[in-house]
Amino acid sequence: MAKYVTGFLDKAKIAFDILKQNGGIKGSLYTFYRTDELKNGTVVGKDKYGNTYYENNRYFVGRNRWVIYNDNVYMDYDGSQVPAEWYGWLHYKTDLPPTVKPPVHYKWMIDHIENKSGTQEAYMPYSTTKPKIQAWDPNVKKE
Amino acid sequence: MLRLPFLRSIPQVTRVASLGARTNSTGAPEKVEVFIDGQPVLVDPGTTVLQAAAMVGVEIPRFCYHERLSVAGNCRMCLVEVEKSAKPVAACAMPVMKGWRIKTNSELTRKAREGVMEFLLVNHPLDCPICDQGGECDLQDQSMAFGSDRSRFTDITFSGKRAVEDKNVGPLIKTIMTRCIHCTRCIRFASEVAGVDDLGTTGRGGDMQVGTYVEKMFLSELSGNVIDLCPVGALTSKPYAFMARPWETRKTDSIDVMDAVGSNIFVTHRTGEVLRVLPRTHEEINEEWLSDKSRFACDGLKRQRLVSPMVRDSSGKLVMVEWEDALVAVARALQSAKGEELAAIVGGFADAEALVALKDMLNQLGSESLCTEEVFPMDGAGTDLRSNYLLNSTIAGVEEADVVLLIGTNTRFEAPLFNARLRKAWINNDLRVATVGPNVDLTYETENLGDSMQVLQDLAEGRHAFSKVLNGAKRPIIVVGSGALQREDGAAVFQLTQRIAQNARVAANVGHDWRVLNVLHRVASQVAALDLGYKAGIEAIRANPPKVLFLLGADEGVISREDLPKDCFVIYQGHHGDRGASMADAVLPGAAYTEKQATYVNMEGRAQQTYTAITPPGLAREDWKILRALGEVVGVKLPYDTLTQLRARLTEVSPNLTRYGDVEAANYFAQAIELAKLVKAKPSNTPLDVRQKTLEDFYITDSISRASPTMAKCVQAVKKQRQSKY
Amino acid sequence: MATVIANVRPSLKLFQSVLTCSSRRAFGSTSVLMNEDPLKLAQLKEAPMKTLEDLFTSEKQDSLITVEKKVDIGCVTGVPQEHITTRHVRIWKPVKHAMQSGTNNTHKWKMEFESRERWENPLMGWASSGDPLSNMQLSFGNKEEAIAFCEKNGWEYSVTEVVDKQPRPKSYGLNFSWNKKTRTSTK
Repeated sequence: MAKYVTGFLDKAKIAFDILKQNGGIKGSLYTFYRTDELKNGTVVGKDKYGNTYYENNRYFVGRNRWVIYNDNVYMDYDGSQVPAEWYGWLHYKTDLPPTVKPPVHYKWMIDHIENKSGTQEAYMPYSTTKPKIQAWDPNVKKE
Repeated sequence: MLRLPFLRSIPQVTRVASLGARTNSTGAPEKVEVFIDGQPVLVDPGTTVLQAAAMVGVEIPRFCYHERLSVAGNCRMCLVEVEKSAKPVAACAMPVMKGWRIKTNSELTRKAREGVMEFLLVNHPLDCPICDQGGECDLQDQSMAFGSDRSRFTDITFSGKRAVEDKNVGPLIKTIMTRCIHCTRCIRFASEVAGVDDLGTTGRGGDMQVGTYVEKMFLSELSGNVIDLCPVGALTSKPYAFMARPWETRKTDSIDVMDAVGSNIFVTHRTGEVLRVLPRTHEEINEEWLSDKSRFACDGLKRQRLVSPMVRDSSGKLVMVEWEDALVAVARALQSAKGEELAAIVGGFADAEALVALKDMLNQLGSESLCTEEVFPMDGAGTDLRSNYLLNSTIAGVEEADVVLLIGTNTRFEAPLFNARLRKAWINNDLRVATVGPNVDLTYETENLGDSMQVLQDLAEGRHAFSKVLNGAKRPIIVVGSGALQREDGAAVFQLTQRIAQNARVAANVGHDWRVLNVLHRVASQVAALDLGYKAGIEAIRANPPKVLFLLGADEGVISREDLPKDCFVIYQGHHGDRGASMADAVLPGAAYTEKQATYVNMEGRAQQTYTAITPPGLAREDWKILRALGEVVGVKLPYDTLTQLRARLTEVSPNLTRYGDVEAANYFAQAIELAKLVKAKPSNTPLDVRQKTLEDFYITDSISRASPTMAKCVQAVKKQRQSKY
Repeated sequence: MATVIANVRPSLKLFQSVLTCSSRRAFGSTSVLMNEDPLKLAQLKEAPMKTLEDLFTSEKQDSLITVEKKVDIGCVTGVPQEHITTRHVRIWKPVKHAMQSGTNNTHKWKMEFESRERWENPLMGWASSGDPLSNMQLSFGNKEEAIAFCEKNGWEYSVTEVVDKQPRPKSYGLNFSWNKKTRTSTK
């Protein structure tokens, strides 16, 4: 019986912690709406784009590291918004987050850019071939 | 001066008569039986071994021999064994004897071929990988088939391989003379077919060279043919140099439209680009030749093209628009004009399909003013009788003629392949040619009768010295150039020509299958347009300036903005941005002849069709489809959705237009003569002239050749050559 | 294509009539006696035997006809309808290529479809096409075979006829003739 009681109390505490970490009822609803789940965990770090990285080993591997994207992007978050230095930790390529082992920075490195597909700045391939036909330009007078 | 032609005519006539008599009395000569690899074949006496072998389908390898050139017999590749003959014989030069047993694949024959190949290859560079002839090279193929599989050429001191300096013979032919095997095909072509004795050989043995002796351009309108004739890569096409390999390209059969001969061509293309044009043998039209303009002006199809519909905006500039906007703008203009306020002029590249679609549409809108750029006198029978505007004798038919009178035409540049036929007849049949008009060089002997209209009148009345020759001719032909009919007194020229032809016909007493009167057209669309009932010449439009003018490829500038009312809306449909498009308010981009399946009728009245080689560039579309769509927007539904239906309509209007390949002979000469008598045209005093007199006038004549850089280079090169002292 | 229901030659006609006749007897009312001796069967006066004249003049002969029937395999070849009804086939015999003297590729009749739109691929500039038949060129021994093949497949076709000409007799000696205009420059 006692087992069930402590079990229930553990669950209640976790629920309470989750609610607390996500900013109460309202905040939790917001997070649930954005991410489709509610979790609690320790904040491992935050990148310069405002994404927060969490870890909680209570969840099984694959779900124990996650990112909550910057609030500013709201629903327009995308996997490519995770910068390269956090990518390795988030995808279990390494267990050392950049907060523990800062990435080497060279001056030729450019800033991380998210995938621009579907936006105005999306990459558009263009024909690299020379035009085979030279069109007539009505406004050029033949000398 | 007077005695000479008369004296010349006497042996002429007797010769022709005796020839005729001989063939009639004894009939066909007895045939000779020979055996080619055991197969018996009956041939005429005098047939060469090579020709006899070809009759049973045995091909003997050759380099110097060419069907359409004289026999040279110098390459020795055609050596074959003849039973009981001590030595192998050269098949191309040796006439067969009765009962010969010829072995084209015996040990001796093969050994002889292998030896010849070895000698040829000793002095031929091994540069096939960079040679433009690679893949279509006779030497390459025959060395694979008949050559030795190993080399005895051991030149370890690098002293011996022949090398010859390249020649510069103009912007069309690239020469790599080291590759030359001295077959002399180019020399024979130049002196026999082109009639330009510029090429020849110098030196002998290992020092022999083919060339022009002094650096000189090959001044001929048929020069490109030596590229085809060259069995190796010594003469290749300069514009096509290093462009493609023959196995990478597609070859589409087509018809040439640069002149009215309707030469059959291959269009070679790859990745949507026309690379070159080659002749396609048609015995009755171009044989195996092609004029330089037809062959090399194809790069004009890539420049100055109309790729998008255009409409003139409020600031007076032509701007690119979508088809929908262009069609609506044009349709609005067409609807605003009533009946005869609407007119159309068609140019030289219009195909029969577009012509009939345009005519159907404008007729339904109530207009009958559909004209061609080229003028043809409408007095008398005019264009109502088809015999009036065709080259009735047919191109091949002139080979049977004995006297030809050319009136106001320079056949050499207006129809180079027709001129090549005349030259062929002049060489083989002793054809006698006289010209009325400026004294131009036609590459063979001609008698210039003067260029005044008085000459024509004298000829018509039988007063001229040449009338005797004409009346003594067994098979006379009178050819009038359409250039002469463009004159103010074109009707008089034509009437006089008809009279001369009729007189010659009566004097020769020929049957109805021999036609005397011929008209030589200069543009490809003319016969089809006249067959479809277009008016020749734009007199009607000048007399009654329209509110809306539709130009279908009309680029020759026969009409300008000044001739039209200020508010006249001009629509241009065609493929090149030229004079027509510059004066237009709306431009509809059409397809060039390589880009559509279309019908063209040549000057003999032979309907032929082009096949689609490549797709029209950009938004350009096939011409009849544009007119069909336009009709839909205007509210005139043209009753054809497919090419088949459109051709059914063509057949309905004029059945000869879809009988592809056939010459639809025209008759009613007598009626035309009767009607011509009613013509009251007065000859003027201006002498007869032709537009194209010398080679530099030949290259650039129409919107395609005007856009062609190669043609421009040719003109420059000819002008430069004229300044040279050679 | 003609599907022959019965041949029109009299001898075969007779043969067939005899066949039909005998089989009718076999499956008719006398079929129960099938295993009996044929002579006995013949003596039974159940149905009259027909003479040869009867068979020749029989009105049944008139029913033997030949029906012209067009064979169209278009419905079973699996070729999409679009490529049967909208395509146009051209049948021709190639001529000698102008660049070479070989004639081996001029012996067969060819069949080809009209070419359709090709466009430039924007990446490499290569030509693309949506036409599965664009590379199909078939060879036939003669024109009739090609026509029959097109008709069988239901394609619209047009034939370009061959323009042939007898070769002109040529002579090496002409090069040296004094009164001819051949090769004046090299004399």
